[in-house]
Amino acid sequence: MGQDNFAPQKRSSTGGGGGLPTIRNEAGAGGRNRGFPSMPRGRQMHKTFNNIKITILCGFVTILVLRGTIGVGNLGSSEAEAINQNLIEETNRILAEIRSDSDPTDPDESPETELNPNVTYTLGPKITDWDQQRKVWLSKNPEFPNFVNGKARILLVTGSPPNPCDNAIGDHYLLKAIKNKIDYCRLHGIEIVYNMAHLDKELAGYWAKLPLIRRLMLSHPELEWIWWMDSDAFFTDMVFEIPLYKYEKYNLVIHGYPDLLFEQKSWIALNTGSFLFRNCQWSLDLLDAWAPMGPKGPIREEAGRILTANLKGRPAFEADDQSALIYLLLSQKDQWMDKVFIENQYYLHGYWAGLVDRYEEMMEKYHPGLGDERWPFVTHFVGCKPCGSYGDYSVERCLRSMQRAFNFADNQVLKLYGFRHRGLLGPNIKRIRNETATPLEIVDLDIRRSVHGKTESKS
Amino acid sequence: HDGADTNAGTNNYNEFDINKILIDEEPDVPKRDPNAPYSLGPRISDWDEQRSRWLQENPNYPNFIGPNKPRVLLVTGSSPKPCENPVGDHYLLKSIKNKIDYCRLHGIEIFYNMALLDAEMAGFWAKLPLIRKLLLSHPEVEFLWWMDSDAMFTDMAFEVPWERYKDSNFVMHGWNEMVYDQKNWIGLNTGSFLLRNGQWALDILDAWAPMGPKGKIREEAGKVLTRELKNRPVFEADDQSAMVYLLATQREKWGDKVYLENSYYLHGYWGILVDRYEEMIENYHPGLGDHRWPLVTHFVGCKPCGKFGDYSVERCLKQMDRAFNFGDNQILQIYGFTHKSLASRRVKRVRNETNNPLEVKDELGLLHPAFKAVKVSSS
Repeated sequence: MGQDNFAPQKRSSTGGGGGLPTIRNEAGAGGRNRGFPSMPRGRQMHKTFNNIKITILCGFVTILVLRGTIGVGNLGSSEAEAINQNLIEETNRILAEIRSDSDPTDPDESPETELNPNVTYTLGPKITDWDQQRKVWLSKNPEFPNFVNGKARILLVTGSPPNPCDNAIGDHYLLKAIKNKIDYCRLHGIEIVYNMAHLDKELAGYWAKLPLIRRLMLSHPELEWIWWMDSDAFFTDMVFEIPLYKYEKYNLVIHGYPDLLFEQKSWIALNTGSFLFRNCQWSLDLLDAWAPMGPKGPIREEAGRILTANLKGRPAFEADDQSALIYLLLSQKDQWMDKVFIENQYYLHGYWAGLVDRYEEMMEKYHPGLGDERWPFVTHFVGCKPCGSYGDYSVERCLRSMQRAFNFADNQVLKLYGFRHRGLLGPNIKRIRNETATPLEIVDLDIRRSVHGKTESKS
Repeated sequence: HDGADTNAGTNNYNEFDINKILIDEEPDVPKRDPNAPYSLGPRISDWDEQRSRWLQENPNYPNFIGPNKPRVLLVTGSSPKPCENPVGDHYLLKSIKNKIDYCRLHGIEIFYNMALLDAEMAGFWAKLPLIRKLLLSHPEVEFLWWMDSDAMFTDMAFEVPWERYKDSNFVMHGWNEMVYDQKNWIGLNTGSFLLRNGQWALDILDAWAPMGPKGKIREEAGKVLTRELKNRPVFEADDQSAMVYLLATQREKWGDKVYLENSYYLHGYWGILVDRYEEMIENYHPGLGDHRWPLVTHFVGCKPCGKFGDYSVERCLKQMDRAFNFGDNQILQIYGFTHKSLASRRVKRVRNETNNPLEVKDELGLLHPAFKAVKVSSS
């Protein structure tokens, strides 16, 4: 699962995400296409065209990398140069191989059969008594309670594709993003699952989270909430804690705006880049109702057309999970909405463009713990797509902003140890509190208290 | 919100040099006087008492989270700058995912460091100021487990035998004879070790640090180490050689609290392990932690983040994929999946979905492992 999970907020550019990004979503594309006896010609041509695109891309990347590496003025001996050259070539060859989607076991694999559109896709055998099964399990397993130290047990789920990104920057920011999540979750007692497997070929891409969430719910009855978070979303308020008490009567907590949803039927009324699902029968039912637009191929494409026709502002491209959920909640409002909490009092998802330029202002006027527009809980880089080759925005703007968000958050962690970054862009840090022989006078492990209660030396 | 951004700059990530962005906007701090002796921080001599008092005052943060289970913090990290090798960051990502999985199963917290706390102690020495800072900031942590970014967990079921170390403060993989008798520079490995939080740890860190400050001190120290240790090549002082030297020359001072472990692979050199994974799968099972099913496979010398390692790029990266998959299979099987082969990123189902998910037999006992069980409270 976890393929291209970081771009569920949909691309606002036209045409299904432009050329290459869609190739990353297709597990079969670029691989060997043997044994498709009944593949329609149009599809065959489409696949060949995709293959050519990949080859050109790989060649392009190789050339770029070579250009970048050879360009360094190496005035060593010709022998050293030759070794250098060999190493570079070997590395590039390996890179290209690793990046390509070809799988060593492909030749022996039986051909993939396409999903029969007449058979309804399901996430798994229907379960109707999950609440009961779970209750029984919890009572039999008191050492795995769903509440720990008075807090409901939450699992944060995120992930990324198993292949390297189209470019190295993408992987670097995936790494920074997971470090960011590790920090938040450590401070708040939340466990993390980082998924890098495609559990279900049909529901690839942004849909991959559905089978994953279901699987985790059913395997872990001790979880009260599953919190899905995209890999391109960063925590930017390390102190803020989700006010679970608000959601006692709800099963889905999602950021959005009711008027955008009900009045305007906007395709961005809600955001599925960061949301919470309670582990219960209702959630299983919603996942089942949500999934049908997902299976890739003609189903997803046809569903995309329906969504574009019915949701305001939606460009034409295949069905994505966010639009599908919006459509589902609109068309079956009475069945679901009483258990859906549309949250906008804090940034459970915070669209990056309106936030990142204000970090300095925030640091000057406000403090962590607010979670809202004064100090956003989550800054979500929709549309940047650093793991692909092309984003919807200028690369420089995206990367600069992501780095700033990372440092903005990291400063809140480093502060606990007496450091902060030298600016919101740079990698290096400086000390803001001297070492002492009595360190425990400052230590306060509850970050909520440590921010407000202690005086900190100003830099 | 906006559509595509029309101002300056490409939308193509492959055309962009990230180093344009990663600039420190504030000036650097003045450098320390190089003639003054280096120190990790003000001397503390009563850490055990300070810590003990704090633990009493903070019963919500006990240093033992179970009867024989100390609170452990796994510490690892990497550079805040992108790797020079274009796939290096991808392998760092896989490596941290691997650690997240093991630590989630074993109730261990992770600290992923990307900050250089002390510019003088850069490179392999960077872990020393970091470890000291973390020990002092987290009195609730009983053991700090340092693990290199190029080390992966390959036995998800193996639980460290904490009881064995109740009288020890420092556990490293190694052999007594190789360290104390031979002074062999690889007699122990500092890529994966356990350090108990206490005064003793602060003291050994203080004794360890002096060979670290970069520049002349580190160079000179390197020469001493090459001369004194068996088989050590010529290069600047590294933390591992320095530790061998420290223990070999001050055994009476430190030796009784150092446990050189070799009954399982707290650190497992990848070269002798990775080709045997298929054999292991056929003959053994997770939970052994040793040569039959190594706890840790450590890719020393591969340096996937840098441009040049000591081994062929192809062998390193392919074997890292295999080690990752070998470990990942043990996680995936919890959920009914496995990799199609150790070389493949693809997974396949090995257990069908049912409508009685809670009756699934959890073969490795990793779904609800004993080491994660919380104490049953009376409420």
